[in-house]
Amino acid sequence: MRRKLVGWGFAAVAGMALGIGLLVLIVLIATTALQAAPITAMRAVAGAGISLSLRSMEVPGTREAAGYVTVAQVEAGSPAAELGLARGDALLVVGSVPVERPSQAWEAVRGAPGGRGVVLPVAWLPRAEVALGTLRATPGGVTVATPSPMAQAGGLAPGDLLLSAGSIPITGTRQAWEALAVAARTGGAPVEVKLNRAGEEIRLLWDPVRRGELRFVRDPLRAWWGFLTTLNEPRYPERAGLLPALVGSLYVVLVMAAVAFPLGIAGAVYLEEYAPTNLLTRTIEVLVANLAGTPSAVVGIIGLEVFARALGAGRSVLAGGLTLAVLILPTMVVASREALRAVPRTLREAALALGATRWETVRHHVLPYALPGILTGTILSFSRALGEAAPLLLLGAFLFVTYVPQGLGDSFTVVPLQIFEWATRPQDGFATVAAAAIVVLVTLLLLLNAVAILLRNRFGRRWAG
Amino acid sequence: MSEHVAPPVLSTRKFSLWYGSHQAVIEVDLDIAERQITAIIGPSGCGKSTLIRAFNRLNDLIPGVRTAGQILFRGEPLYGRGVDPVEVRRRIGMVFQKPNPFPKSVFENVAFGLRINGFRGDLKAKVEEALARAALLDEVKGDLHRKTGYDLSGGQQQRLCIARALAVDPEVLLMDEPCSALDPIATAKIEDLIRELASSVTVVIVTHNMQQAARVSDYTAFMLLGELVECGPTRELFTRPKDSRTEAYITGRFG
Ligand SMILES: Nc1ncnc2c1ncn2[C@@H]1O[C@H](COP(=O)(O)OP(=O)(O)OP(=O)(O)O)[C@@H](O)[C@H]1O
Ligand SMILES: [Mg+2]
Repeated sequence: MRRKLVGWGFAAVAGMALGIGLLVLIVLIATTALQAAPITAMRAVAGAGISLSLRSMEVPGTREAAGYVTVAQVEAGSPAAELGLARGDALLVVGSVPVERPSQAWEAVRGAPGGRGVVLPVAWLPRAEVALGTLRATPGGVTVATPSPMAQAGGLAPGDLLLSAGSIPITGTRQAWEALAVAARTGGAPVEVKLNRAGEEIRLLWDPVRRGELRFVRDPLRAWWGFLTTLNEPRYPERAGLLPALVGSLYVVLVMAAVAFPLGIAGAVYLEEYAPTNLLTRTIEVLVANLAGTPSAVVGIIGLEVFARALGAGRSVLAGGLTLAVLILPTMVVASREALRAVPRTLREAALALGATRWETVRHHVLPYALPGILTGTILSFSRALGEAAPLLLLGAFLFVTYVPQGLGDSFTVVPLQIFEWATRPQDGFATVAAAAIVVLVTLLLLLNAVAILLRNRFGRRWAG
Repeated sequence: MSEHVAPPVLSTRKFSLWYGSHQAVIEVDLDIAERQITAIIGPSGCGKSTLIRAFNRLNDLIPGVRTAGQILFRGEPLYGRGVDPVEVRRRIGMVFQKPNPFPKSVFENVAFGLRINGFRGDLKAKVEEALARAALLDEVKGDLHRKTGYDLSGGQQQRLCIARALAVDPEVLLMDEPCSALDPIATAKIEDLIRELASSVTVVIVTHNMQQAARVSDYTAFMLLGELVECGPTRELFTRPKDSRTEAYITGRFG
């Protein structure tokens, strides 16, 4: 009875631990996935052909700044280009939402009712040269030098002294256009422009806003696929791409695996099967066990001093891979030794008694038997290395890498570093992109761990008998 | 009789063995006759396993083991300089107390020893011959490649281990309590097998079971606390023991 109770107790504690673990994992993934969700709308905007950036104007007479959104890039041949949007235009409204920040444009696309594709009205103020023409700062204020055709059509004439747009005083040549944009967005068009023409104050009701409809394709699959497979465009989160970081991670992990896998197993086999028990091997054992606990940042400094500087590998894929190899080698040796130690002595004796040499015994019987355990340890080490940012940061890996590394000597970035870089950007949208990259990284790590479990089960069943 | 004329295959000369500071075998002098079955009996912990493992230098692998005296294998010192223990183990095979097949197919279990010894010839025929000698062939013939060593019963596993050892044609077969993990029927089969083997190999068998020693062996050696108390033809040792300690043991007064 008591034994049963104890058993139940253990089962309850184990179940609770497992449940809490799973819950934390699910909450973690759910929240990051939620944070990453706007990426679909972001890439839909990018897909329509425009990149947005946030600008701000100081409102004269106040200490406040008013934000507005400019079109930073227009892709040639895109729907946006066909509509007439151009670089430098101020985007004012998407759907029914006035946009003060880029994120509001994405939110408007995200929140619009409809299916995968939506057609939304957009309104924008053409860039300063088109909307206003050239202005000049004169002692009296901002004067129209040569009005653009559009400004002329709206009623502006050369020599006009611009006073205000909406309720915003005009104080500068650039600011005049900004005031127009902010006034059009907040007060709507037409905008009441006050000006002084030949000493006389004139109120002009002018509508400088252009309108049209843009089609946005909200396709999560396409968005995520695009995120994974495009080069990184570091300035615009809606064009951020994880490809350079993914390839960088892959290369670095490959270099690391090529170095750490054979060395780790060889080291473990030597220590476990060959090394005599003397002071030297004891010392090595203690050293290895302690190295396994070295903070990864310290390993990064070793990598910087030894591989990047002394060996002249620089901030290359090679140096990164070697640094990570140093990081995981001790763990790999310890885990592999554990697996080797679990091989029954009777199996070794069976082979040795047949006249097998030590190496034949190890190669044909001990290693195959220990392999699932070794592989499990290896994959777990690899997944740890895949998630490491600190050592590579110290190594000096580049944060801005917009190309895919081609060889061992190229500079690189990795997914965790890219996440770090994105997460520290203050601009709208980078948090979303960072969250998306986290989702990718966590998925990768889970996949690797699943493979480790599968390996263990598959081989475990085959051998255990 | 003629067996006294033939030189012994193995003979120990004041052989001692230490595990660190603990002496497990004390100055043993023992001759193992060619193509005979020699049983080593004695109470638990008296050094039977240690001695038999010394015959194929399996103790070398245990750290802290030290030996003194000599073991001669066909007149050559087994622990001499320049003797390769791997070579020794190829000529002196061993079967262990607990069946320890490799986690591989039945065929591979037997073929392994041949492969590492660079066997050239008909591997399949040789494997089947070894399985036949171990009286296992009929039971596994259809599944040589399909079944692993672990798929067999305990008795079959032990016969597989015997076949594995026989495949490389050893001159001596050492058996350390080969039946202690088996039921009576499997034990009987293995005992029959051992009797048959004696026509082609020299067998040294350690056993706890005095009846078994009496049933299968030609010679019996009795060990106590690391020392060899007495050795002689089995019938003589069991009927007219020379030493009072032997008598006490075989009549069940201790052990
Ligand atoms: N690896 C070892 N290290 C240290 N001492 C050992 C080791 N193996 C055996 N011994 C000791 O040597 C002595 C003889 O052991 P051994 O295994 O030879 O006895 P045995 O006669 O085979 O006993 P059993 O009938 O129980 O198998 C025992 O006292 C044992 O404790
Ligand atoms: Mg024993």
